[in-house]
Amino acid sequence: MESPSAAKRSARKSSERGAGAPRRPYPGALVVVEGIDGSGKSTQLYLLKRWLEIGRYRIHFTEWNSSPLVKSATKRGKQRRMLTPVTFSLLHAADFADRCERQILPLLQGGYLVLADRYIYTAFARDAARGCPSEWLRNLYRFAPVPDITFYFRTPLAVAVNRILSGRPRLKYYEAGMDLGLSYDRAESFRIFQGMIQDEYDKMIETDNFVLMDGSANVNVLQAQMREIVQEKIDLKRFLTP
Amino acid sequence: MSDTPEPGISPAPNALPAEGAEKQAESRFFAMELPGIDPDELTGKLIVIEGTDGSGRSTQIALLTEWLESHGFAVQTMGLRRSLLVAKDIDELLAKNTVTRLTMALMYATDFYDQLENRLLPALRSGLVVLADRYIYTLIARGAVRGLDPEYLHGLYAMALRPEMTFWLNVSPEVAFEREFKKSGMISYWEAGRDMNLSNDLFESFLLYQFRVKKQFEELSRRHQFIELDGEAPIPTVNEQLRRHIGARLGIADTAYEPSQAFAHLWR
Repeated sequence: MESPSAAKRSARKSSERGAGAPRRPYPGALVVVEGIDGSGKSTQLYLLKRWLEIGRYRIHFTEWNSSPLVKSATKRGKQRRMLTPVTFSLLHAADFADRCERQILPLLQGGYLVLADRYIYTAFARDAARGCPSEWLRNLYRFAPVPDITFYFRTPLAVAVNRILSGRPRLKYYEAGMDLGLSYDRAESFRIFQGMIQDEYDKMIETDNFVLMDGSANVNVLQAQMREIVQEKIDLKRFLTP
Repeated sequence: MSDTPEPGISPAPNALPAEGAEKQAESRFFAMELPGIDPDELTGKLIVIEGTDGSGRSTQIALLTEWLESHGFAVQTMGLRRSLLVAKDIDELLAKNTVTRLTMALMYATDFYDQLENRLLPALRSGLVVLADRYIYTLIARGAVRGLDPEYLHGLYAMALRPEMTFWLNVSPEVAFEREFKKSGMISYWEAGRDMNLSNDLFESFLLYQFRVKKQFEELSRRHQFIELDGEAPIPTVNEQLRRHIGARLGIADTAYEPSQAFAHLWR
């Protein structure tokens, strides 16, 4: 848990002319799940959300890539395969910026507990796997608030990939990393690409304070751990609806 | 351990060294290499013409194109909001004016890099002279006047190609106003920076906005060594200065030029 002085320090450091960052610290809290496709993170976040909803906490759930304004550009770029690693990354950043400034930040400022299924680390892992320089990516997303907890669901690659491949046979071009020319076979390309992304996630465990979760454990066991960590790290009383 | 970020707002970044970029002057990129590009293949030249609205950029580019072609140089142009990928989306977002300055800045960055990768680099690989009607500097200036951190914006464009030379056609806001007004008979919402709520009086808003952009350009000019030209001078005078500078860089000894019939009216 951060000390009050550390919180003050980070508030002071937030520059006057940020890249969209607010000028004051916020009363809300941000909990994020990350991990490759099929790692089980969405299931776990859903269960966490249900628990908090039933407990009558002020929460809001948000997903990666869901802002309507930039959607048409992203969709067209993907359909026509016009995207390079850099423009792919920028479009998603524009999309995220819109969501961050219009949804996530206001909610945090309004004192909500915000639950995010994927966050900037998805971009760091995926776009770095595509070859974008990490330093550039770090600067690009500098406007995003740092989460209070980032759960990283690490699941053996074969397990995660098989969960996806067995359930949904049709993989999209960029989703499978076909733009990287890893393999002509979409499933094989997807497997390799997910492995590269997992490697990038692993690099961030230390640097970004990830809470490592064993994605191969039982769903209910994982959820119990997750709830315990949330209770320990976040003062949930503050978020109770009166 | 102490390096791990605290929850909350991100601390000031280890800003991308635009200054450090000056040290590695031989690099074709500002601070980082674009993935998958071999800089040695880029045999063409990128020349940037910057300046606020009404500074005469497009006119000068049309004239320079003709002059360069007369000397056997193939010319390609680029500008803002001309990408296949998002130009139309930006137009729509501008018309609706509902996104924040940050999202807009990132859409412009997407537009820029799409052109960089699909228009500029192929042209430079083919040995063309690319005349850019505005470049990252306008984008940085516009973002900065809207309160975005200039270091953030420089970082965004760290993988942009460093131009061979950058000209700044400097004009006062008053002259810019007259020229823009003459061109379209009215002043547009964005040229007047109306999104910034500087004034409800459009004329005043235009002047205040263009003045702020100009201040940013002064800053950028120092940092990136622009070649500053008096954009209020007559068209032939500005053009002659441009030809002299560009001629010296491209090895064109004869900088005399008389425009063809199509452009003769600009010469009067």
